[in-house]
Amino acid sequence: MDFSWSVIWDAMPALLAGARLTIYITVVGLLGGLVLGAVAGLFRAFGPAILNAIAFAYVELIRGTPIVVQVMFIYFALPVLAQIRIDPLTAAILAIIINAGAYIAEIVRGALLSVDKGLREAGLALGLPFWKVLVFVIGPIAFRRIIPPLGNQFIVSLKDTSLFIVIGVGELTRQGQEIMAANFRAVEIWTAVAIIYLIMTGTLSFALRVLEKRMRIL
Amino acid sequence: MIEFRKVTKRFGANVILDEVDLDIEAGEKVVLIGPSGSGKSTLLRCINALETIQGGDLLVDGMSVRGGRSEVRTIRQEAGMVFQQFNLFPQLTALQNVAFGPRRVRGTPKREALEQARELLAKVGLANRADHYPGELSGGQQQRVAIARALAVRPKVMLFDEPTSALDPELRQEVLQVMQALAEGGMTMIVVTHEIAFARMVGTRLIFMEKGKIAVDGPPAELIDNPANPRLREFLQHVH
Ligand SMILES: Nc1ncnc2c1ncn2[C@@H]1O[C@H](COP(=O)(O)OP(=O)(O)OP(=O)(O)O)[C@@H](O)[C@H]1O
Ligand SMILES: [Mg+2]
Repeated sequence: MDFSWSVIWDAMPALLAGARLTIYITVVGLLGGLVLGAVAGLFRAFGPAILNAIAFAYVELIRGTPIVVQVMFIYFALPVLAQIRIDPLTAAILAIIINAGAYIAEIVRGALLSVDKGLREAGLALGLPFWKVLVFVIGPIAFRRIIPPLGNQFIVSLKDTSLFIVIGVGELTRQGQEIMAANFRAVEIWTAVAIIYLIMTGTLSFALRVLEKRMRIL
Repeated sequence: MIEFRKVTKRFGANVILDEVDLDIEAGEKVVLIGPSGSGKSTLLRCINALETIQGGDLLVDGMSVRGGRSEVRTIRQEAGMVFQQFNLFPQLTALQNVAFGPRRVRGTPKREALEQARELLAKVGLANRADHYPGELSGGQQQRVAIARALAVRPKVMLFDEPTSALDPELRQEVLQVMQALAEGGMTMIVVTHEIAFARMVGTRLIFMEKGKIAVDGPPAELIDNPANPRLREFLQHVH
């Protein structure tokens, strides 16, 4: 077997373009997922019964189905159901938002509920309304506990973008697939693709570890 | 100052406070004792509406714990509470813990709140621990910070729920001394404790609770030296 560096060299521009798209989908998707997950997690922990039930149903629906099915639904089924055209990139980002949002909701809920009930009472006993206790006491403590599992979810979501190959988004895996189909250099291409993923996830892990260190976990 | 009128508290079918009547005047130092499960903590927590009552009414400074949210918040600002487990905010330093109430409840400007907090910390003997986090303080120090935190909101009455029970014996005295100084300063206090010596020396009134009712209510020294109630006598023998 001859490992050809020039194959990788030639493929690099396309692979990097794919990696850029992977990062774009991940970042935008996770930003949306954070907002959605924070709201759903808050409802799960302290919301009124109806909102709690809605959030619960959402989380169970998403956790109970594969992300490939979710993105297929958004891309192929939604246009039929609702007469809206969605381009592959939007479908991919939506899928990450909705999928990561559900897992983040569980992380947020767990962290909020893990904060000692005594601290909530101490805040209330000072005469604070509950929302202020949430903002100034429970929130800051829960936030620190969210970081490690959140980092894990970020990495999972980044890798999940590779599944969007099924709707033809030109992210990293799709780029690798297309180049491979043209030159049949499986070893070089998939090695390069794997390493690019490793660099991305490694950078993310490292950044999170720095953040964790700088913040005292309570 | 505090009026219980046939206050009934239930958890499900269990009656925890059974039509309690109790009047506490400003300046009194009431010590609450009684066997475990008799309802001492519950009685205390009803006063600042951490527990809701199911029957009767409870007035604090003329306001009802069954009133609206803002009425309840006002009651809580007037009734400071100190917990057995301290419950200091772990993400804040001692100073920030003490300044927390004024800043977030009363809207006091930051500088002023911190300045007041520094004075209060000095009062409880912790001026040199201002920038320590709760995790870096001993139990006794944490409880003194917690007392300062409650005082910072300028309450009219202080509620203590076994403030020294979580402490090693050698750390209890420093907390009891702070409480004694507070009592001597004229603060109205209701203290759940097993510290009989403290009850005798600082208390102006001793209440012995039993099964959700006030069984004995009178002057501490008399009751402790000559308990007429046989169950109080037995209880005192156990805690001594
Ligand atoms: N949240 C709750 N749910 C159900 N029952 C409760 C709850 N809190 C307290 N109780 C019950 O109410 C009764 C009185 O409890 P309380 O804590 O007031 O007793 P206490 O006199 O403070 O006892 P201790 O000396 O052990 O602190 C107990 O039987 C307890 O089991
Ligand atoms: Mg108790």
